[in-house]
Amino acid sequence: MVKASLNTDGQVLIKNKQKQFSPWKLARKKFLKNKIAMTSLIVFVSFVLIAVFGPLFTTQDITRINFMSMNLPPSAEHWFGTDTNGRDIFTRMVYGARTSLLIGLSCMTFIIVIGTIVGAIAGYNGGKIDQIFMRITDFVLNFPFLVFVIVLNTILVGKVSGVWTLILVISLLSWGGVARIVRSRFLSEKENEYVLAAKSIGTRPIKIIGKHILPNVASTIIVQATLMLAVTIVAEAGLSFLGSGVPANIPSWGNMLFEARDSDVLRNKTWIWVPPAAAITITILAINFIGEGIKDALNPKSRR
Amino acid sequence: MLQYSLRRILGMIPLLFLTSIVVFSLAKFMPGDPFGGEIDPSNTNPEYIEEMREKLGYNDPIHIQYIRWVTNFVQGDFGHSTAHKIPVFDLIVDRLPNTIFLAIVSLIITYIFAFAMGMYSGRRPYTWGDNLIAGYNYVGLAIPSFVAGIIAIYFFSFQLGWFPFAGSVEVGLQPGTWDYYVSRMHHVLLPALILGLMGTASYTQFLRNDVIENSRKDFVRTARAKGTSESAIYNKHILRNSMIPLITFLGFDIATLIGGAVITETIFTYPGIGLLFLESVDRRDYAVLMTITMLLSFLTLLGNLIADLLYGIVDPRIRLG
Repeated sequence: MVKASLNTDGQVLIKNKQKQFSPWKLARKKFLKNKIAMTSLIVFVSFVLIAVFGPLFTTQDITRINFMSMNLPPSAEHWFGTDTNGRDIFTRMVYGARTSLLIGLSCMTFIIVIGTIVGAIAGYNGGKIDQIFMRITDFVLNFPFLVFVIVLNTILVGKVSGVWTLILVISLLSWGGVARIVRSRFLSEKENEYVLAAKSIGTRPIKIIGKHILPNVASTIIVQATLMLAVTIVAEAGLSFLGSGVPANIPSWGNMLFEARDSDVLRNKTWIWVPPAAAITITILAINFIGEGIKDALNPKSRR
Repeated sequence: MLQYSLRRILGMIPLLFLTSIVVFSLAKFMPGDPFGGEIDPSNTNPEYIEEMREKLGYNDPIHIQYIRWVTNFVQGDFGHSTAHKIPVFDLIVDRLPNTIFLAIVSLIITYIFAFAMGMYSGRRPYTWGDNLIAGYNYVGLAIPSFVAGIIAIYFFSFQLGWFPFAGSVEVGLQPGTWDYYVSRMHHVLLPALILGLMGTASYTQFLRNDVIENSRKDFVRTARAKGTSESAIYNKHILRNSMIPLITFLGFDIATLIGGAVITETIFTYPGIGLLFLESVDRRDYAVLMTITMLLSFLTLLGNLIADLLYGIVDPRIRLG
């Protein structure tokens, strides 16, 4: 970029300034060039759009059991066929996307927020506080996840409405890993001079953590977030598949897969379980590729 | 090493204690009487119920109930299953070997495939064979175990008829006979293959990168200069060095396999601890539920402990920390 400006003597200075981008802009450019990651992002965003706006356009009634149209194979009227209760599978897929993605995204948000707060406090303060916080984290990490989610869900079901029980339970049991990683990043980051400088001019700890250290740790947290999104979507589907997740009357991809536990459905009525199985796998694959892309884009050492 | 191990093992005790409190409180929050089953459900006489409650100690203060439960638990008295009408201990002893058998077979499968793929990829990085393996691992990471499980049952059990789709052994075979063991192996193979093949990704990736890194080191150059054959360099010199860090994965695998048992055993209707757990949730069989929750927490702790100890062996610096 050629920039002309007047200095105090009135001379025209022509500076040949090199293009300078902020690290975030560089990362964005790198990500946009990554074909696999961009394709995955488009797939994922379209799933989200379908989940948000899809139910506005569907015409089939899926709240009622319809004895007239049970187990119909795919046809023009029922694009993906109907399930053992005579409900349209395509419509249920659209509503299921809503549930599954809502659970995945909310759990991810909760997990990242809790994990970051715990990790930041422990890592920034160190010493006794760090010890206490990390023992709590160890404790949470030592629970066998599925077993405790199932037990907690049995207790809470009916007390908190619908999917929020599951969101709460999954989030409460999964923040440990994020907390550990954020803590170790904070531990190394706080040794830098800019933190010392901020401290010496009397900046409050909360501001140092939030405004100075957090942006430098953000890349790690973002990568963790994509990972958690995939993990929680799988967790929801797995739990619903076991019959211990989302209540049976709410369609979710896991609940739809639940029907495949019947060996007659599994053997002879493939159209019932293939769509949810495919949707889950494609979603996870897309999220993983997006995560890889972000990791790659935020890594200044990788040049593509 | 001894001091480090002792410190780690002692560190487990408070965690176990806390876990037991959590499990006990959760059981108390559950609808109904978690320690029940001894009360005859057909007798609805309130006096009888009150008498039994008093006798069984439900009216005692909560901490006394907790202490009684823990004391019994440590002595191996896990209570009585309401659904199966036998002591929980017998039920666990009946089911646990199945779960352990499945875990071991699937671990062996993971190791065999991960080593083969990791060595191949590490020796020929950036070839199409390597890319193919990387692609497989991506898909393996993305497909959840339950989806892989039902697809495997659909193809291998229903379409091809190669494997049974439920149970752990053919009905009517006498334990101890040759056929009995063959049948058990046959039943465990499909779930173990699924679990095993899904778990290769992290091993393969690690081994590949480590082999590539090691192949640039001086000891490899020395070996080459001496005229050692390429296959001997890779299979002896490099593999030995790359294997050491891998053993630390074992502990985490134990924890993952145990946590995952609930899902795998349900898909394949394989009568292990995981399936028993889910059955007891559905039937509100609290004594079984509590025992399995405790047992699985203990095994997870044990898995993490093993991981820590193996880390200590591999990297002596950790022992000092």
